[in-house]
Amino acid sequence: MSANHYDAIIIGAGHNGLIAGAYLARAGKKVVILERRPIVGGAAVTEEIFPGYRFTEFSYVVSLLRPEIIRDLELPRHGLKILPLPSTVTPMDNGDYLASWSDHDQTRREIYRHAPRDAEAADEYSRVMARAAKAIKPVLSLVPPDPSSMSVRDMLGLLKLGKYAKSLSEKELYRIAKLVTQSSADLLNEWFEFDPLKGTKSASGIIGTFLGPHSPGTAYVLLHHYMGEIDGAFRAWGFAKNGTGGVTAAIAASARAIGAEIRTNAAVKQVIVKGGRAAGVALENGDELHAKVVMSAADPKRSFLQFVESKHFPDEFTQQIKNFRVRGSSGKVNIALSELPQFTCLPGESPLHRGAISISPSIDYIERAYDEAKYGQFSKQPYIDMIIPSMIDRDMAPPGHHVMSCFVQYAPYDIDGGWDDAKRDAFGETVISTIERYAPNIRRAIVGKQVITPKDIERIAGITGGNIFHGELLLHQLFFLRPAPQWADFRTPLPGYYFGASGAHPGGGVMGAAGKLAAHEVLKDWR
Amino acid sequence: MLSTLELKRTPFHERTSRLSVTQNWRRWAGHIVLGSYELSLEHEYWAIRDGAALIDVSPLMKYMIEGPDAARLLHKVTTRDILKMPVGQVYYTGWCDDEGKLLDDGTVARMDEQRFRMTSAEPSLRWLAMNAVGLDVKVTEVTDRMAALSLQGPKSRAVLNRCCAEPLDKLKYFRLTNTSIGNIPVSVSRTGYTGDLGFEIWMDAEQALPVWDRLMAAGGDYGITPCGILAMDMARVEAGLFMLDVDYTAATHAWIDGQKSSPLEMGLDWAVNLDKKGYFVGRRALEREKREGSAWKLMGLEIAWEGLERLYADVGLPPQIPAMAVRGSLPVMHEGKQVGYASTSTWSPVLKKYIALAHLQRPHYEPGTSLTMEVTVEHHRRQAPAKVVKLPFYEPAWKKK
Amino acid sequence: MANHDVIVIGAGLNGLVAANYLAKAGKRALVLERRAIPGGQAVTESVGGGFQVNALHAGGQLRPDIVSDLELERHGLPTSVSEPLVSILPDGRQLRLAADSDEQTLASIGTLSKRDAEQWPAFVAFMNEAAAFLDAAYRTPMPRLPNVSLKEGWPLAQLALKLRRLGPKDMFRVIRAMPMSALELTEEWFESDALRAAVGAVAIHGATLGPMSAGSGYTLMHNWLNRGGPGHRRVEGGVGRIADALVAALKSRGGEVRLSADVKTVLVENQSVLGVRLKSGEEIAATTVVSAADPRHSLIGLVGAVELPPEFVWATQSIKMRGAVAKVHLLTDGNHGLPKGTLVIAPSIRYAERAYDAAKYGEMSKEPYLEITTAGSVVSLHVQFAPYALRQGNWEQLRPVLERTAVDIAARAFPQLKSSIRQTKSLTPLDLERTYGLTEGDLNHGQLILDQMFFMRPIPGWSNHKTPIDGYYLCGSGIHGGGGISGAAGRNAASAILKAK
Repeated sequence: MSANHYDAIIIGAGHNGLIAGAYLARAGKKVVILERRPIVGGAAVTEEIFPGYRFTEFSYVVSLLRPEIIRDLELPRHGLKILPLPSTVTPMDNGDYLASWSDHDQTRREIYRHAPRDAEAADEYSRVMARAAKAIKPVLSLVPPDPSSMSVRDMLGLLKLGKYAKSLSEKELYRIAKLVTQSSADLLNEWFEFDPLKGTKSASGIIGTFLGPHSPGTAYVLLHHYMGEIDGAFRAWGFAKNGTGGVTAAIAASARAIGAEIRTNAAVKQVIVKGGRAAGVALENGDELHAKVVMSAADPKRSFLQFVESKHFPDEFTQQIKNFRVRGSSGKVNIALSELPQFTCLPGESPLHRGAISISPSIDYIERAYDEAKYGQFSKQPYIDMIIPSMIDRDMAPPGHHVMSCFVQYAPYDIDGGWDDAKRDAFGETVISTIERYAPNIRRAIVGKQVITPKDIERIAGITGGNIFHGELLLHQLFFLRPAPQWADFRTPLPGYYFGASGAHPGGGVMGAAGKLAAHEVLKDWR
Repeated sequence: MLSTLELKRTPFHERTSRLSVTQNWRRWAGHIVLGSYELSLEHEYWAIRDGAALIDVSPLMKYMIEGPDAARLLHKVTTRDILKMPVGQVYYTGWCDDEGKLLDDGTVARMDEQRFRMTSAEPSLRWLAMNAVGLDVKVTEVTDRMAALSLQGPKSRAVLNRCCAEPLDKLKYFRLTNTSIGNIPVSVSRTGYTGDLGFEIWMDAEQALPVWDRLMAAGGDYGITPCGILAMDMARVEAGLFMLDVDYTAATHAWIDGQKSSPLEMGLDWAVNLDKKGYFVGRRALEREKREGSAWKLMGLEIAWEGLERLYADVGLPPQIPAMAVRGSLPVMHEGKQVGYASTSTWSPVLKKYIALAHLQRPHYEPGTSLTMEVTVEHHRRQAPAKVVKLPFYEPAWKKK
Repeated sequence: MANHDVIVIGAGLNGLVAANYLAKAGKRALVLERRAIPGGQAVTESVGGGFQVNALHAGGQLRPDIVSDLELERHGLPTSVSEPLVSILPDGRQLRLAADSDEQTLASIGTLSKRDAEQWPAFVAFMNEAAAFLDAAYRTPMPRLPNVSLKEGWPLAQLALKLRRLGPKDMFRVIRAMPMSALELTEEWFESDALRAAVGAVAIHGATLGPMSAGSGYTLMHNWLNRGGPGHRRVEGGVGRIADALVAALKSRGGEVRLSADVKTVLVENQSVLGVRLKSGEEIAATTVVSAADPRHSLIGLVGAVELPPEFVWATQSIKMRGAVAKVHLLTDGNHGLPKGTLVIAPSIRYAERAYDAAKYGEMSKEPYLEITTAGSVVSLHVQFAPYALRQGNWEQLRPVLERTAVDIAARAFPQLKSSIRQTKSLTPLDLERTYGLTEGDLNHGQLILDQMFFMRPIPGWSNHKTPIDGYYLCGSGIHGGGGISGAAGRNAASAILKAK
């Protein structure tokens, strides 16, 4: 084979593309992974925006990355370390705080301080959620069967699924059914009384969605975030050494070591179709690469509406992809700091600095933030999830200095009048002044800041709509409906063209399951 | 350091921490308590069995249940007939979910017509509140407000008689009285977790230290000994008393149904009053289990010493026995097939036997059945012969007298 | 010795339908109604002031199979006609929507968008297909999971087959439509915001949801099914005549309805039903008791939590009711200037969504969504959102605000209305609870949301009409099949009870 001939071409060197490429290379295929940016990583990148300060630019925590991928690809050998992120602290408006620590007794005592009954409820709740996560998890590593199909494979898949459902207890089954359909507000109101506790827990239900905690279906997103697993322990969140860019760097190193080629500055213009099959790609620079199989790890819109001419797809499919919801709803503000932010609720350097700090005083607060976004504005009082990576990994900032990562919701992609520099500045200012209410020294400590809107996520990371999950985790966009009915098995209506990214089952987060499952399907079809 | 990041200390911490040579701290319901005071458990153990042992049991979860419907609430929650319970009585009881599987166990004491005190191992405020819907009753957690000491051993009554306002000679087994120690009001119940003569003393946490001091002073002549929870752990196995999270899993904590146990399976038939009137949680499931028989039973297992000795002798070793109760699950077999597991095993210093609490499958739980239990002899798994016996292993004549 | 085989609590449509089916099977059924008239929510009565109104529902119909099974036409069931839905736009234009895609409808939509007018017939066809599926689902008993017997599983398998027979395209459309928001659903069909809003209004009618709420796709299907299209079905002589026919039918089958018989307690011993005790103290024994009241009242209220398993009590208490509907009835001098039909004020998606936003925070909408119907000189305003649970104030204080707000909004479209008003009578959510026995003022006895539908209605594990009390059944709107005026829950309950015997 000549230089530009491959077994498989992967479009996009985000974590899913890299993982898919690595698995295919591992199976002995000649693989090239194409990345349009000069660096790999996609939305999992670490960049030194200000000299000496390294920002984990978009995604910032790890828990969902499948452990079998870490083992299969020997990622620790290639530098992957996942450091603990042991706590979440919610500063309260009355100057107090609510914390959740890594130790059960400590957390219980902390919640008891605010609401004795909630302390017990929290124990029971976390057990119930852990059981639900355990029960639903096998479904995530399944290729969704098509319920409309009569094929043996799909029928067997459905049967297997039914059998699995029968193996669950009545309580588990109903709990899952509830979780999949409920709003996180309803779920949490059944369990808890204390507003900051409910607010903070509800936040995991809205991350990456264009929904408020009162919207049905958000309980599922909340459960999705419970699937995290590090070292076999459920529900643990971590921060990757060197940021999430450290994760993709390790995967890239592993992929290269296995024999995959990674080309950066290689933007794909179009998928080449020959004889009704995907046969390669044409790059923006005019180069043509040929392969038996092409897999896209870009978002569904680019994968199906941009890379491939619509004549290769049935109209119904194109329409379904057009209907796929990719409304970005979150932004990021990355800040370089000359000193630690001092939170009035916990003065001095405290354990709070080593974990997440959540601005989520109540469900209403977050819901009102959503209301604004619904009508095309960014939230004036947003939900913010902060971490200080330099407190976990001292290599992220110069000694004594810090970087802070602030995930912000809501910032709608379709803001009224469209995003511009003035709106981005105003958005950044809103975030800083919100944090300032709880950490008054923040403004003084700022050395530099990077404000990222959904438009910027689209521009930089190439995700249409700027949705961090490549497509919202809505009920009608999950499982056999993701990204489109009948095409949830990582194949597409164009033979030889595969799809393995967050927009496919089982969805977003730095999870890697889609890339891995897609690679397996490619190999299954290999002739 | 944030105070909430520390584990809680009991009201007796100032005394107990100074008396301990080992500083062997253990976690108990978010508190730290001493596992042992001395380097060897023996002295503390024998204080329970032959003298007077003073044990800090303050971490027990404690609740006051008050109001016109207090009895109805506990009648619904527990398996005992609370409506017929006399004032001054203490009941040991388990409580279940509606599938009849144990959630927890503890004691219920009737302080007066409309006032009860309940103890539990796990926090129970939420469960009580869930059951109190529609009832006129107030549930207050008093865990931190109320200190508790357990004075156990054949000399415990004599010690208390020296320092209580009234003699306790007439206080019957599982009864409760209000009295005072050095003018400090206390309530004393004839209860404990050792299977020996013993009392539990309940007092305001603020006045815990003077009560401790009085008891220690009064007990000097009787050899009163501060005792940690490790010695108590050995005694409670001898007494056939089981422990949540060690010998059974609360139904709410279980990952799978197989981890759950019913009170009948735990041998609490005597504490499940199926003849009581009205609905209680788990009633139907327990009635069914009673009718159909239990699939499992918690029984005693006595390991045949000669058999054990032989296993060691085979590799040229003298028999080796752990110095304290072992809380690890050990497979129990019948003719090479697993029929159960021992959840706690211990050397019984008083009986001079190696004993275990074992969950056994029907029909292997009949007393007298010969089974084997796994022991690890010089890195090899071996089967030691054992016999099923009724619980308790040890019950001195003075326990209930 | 009891004179009755079955006691039915509540003479609403579901209670009466259940009693009729039981009586038809030879059971001696006694229906006990706390009010002095039968009908429950489907009543035509004076709400004070001496004029007769369809108090809560402007129209309605029973499922056709119930009508024929019970031979209701023979017993005086009035005819009903489907009315078009007319959305009043701010510029005075009227958007007319009828299910039969008549020329007027297409022309009316055409003024907003030619493309949308072309889409309308296909949309109606899809909605009819979705409604037909829902109708089939509502007659399919929902067994307890996961150990479904072959006998119980068969109807479910048939339902699944029915879904598959729609073909992949429509099957997925129906599946996807349920968890979607009405906005997302209509966005896939129409470009006109006013049209999306008018359809969205059908979705949120009676529900505490906005058109942007996930799951309002399902409520759209549900309301479309019960109405048989976007607009109401007007009943000749008033909705109360449906109940009259059911009562007559029941009497002809040997059943009995006792009015002003307020059941206070369902008598229970060791988790078995013994009968009921009335407010008067009278006790009536029965081995089978069926409650048509909402599940929370039927269980926590009538049985009492102390007789029930705590987890069950918790689930029952957690049923989302949160009614947010109020009614304002106006007696006018006749010169109100309103056309006939189901008039809707929900001119844009954002308007309707903002109206709903208030309900989330326990406030009355400043600019509510209205559905306006007329019957001669009487004008009835259905007002959303007026949440039962107010964060501030109470409904007695807010009644004037409710009346003023509703009339002001209606008068914006119909300026003549204000001067024509002679009398105003409003029903707040609190009135719905007190007068009509609807806990938290919820017309549906439990919100029609995804986690309270099918085998999770009223609560997971208890969608089979049974309760933890042997012999005590539920047959009201809060059960699978229920919500809205259809009688399906009552029909299904009777069949479950007869099978259990």
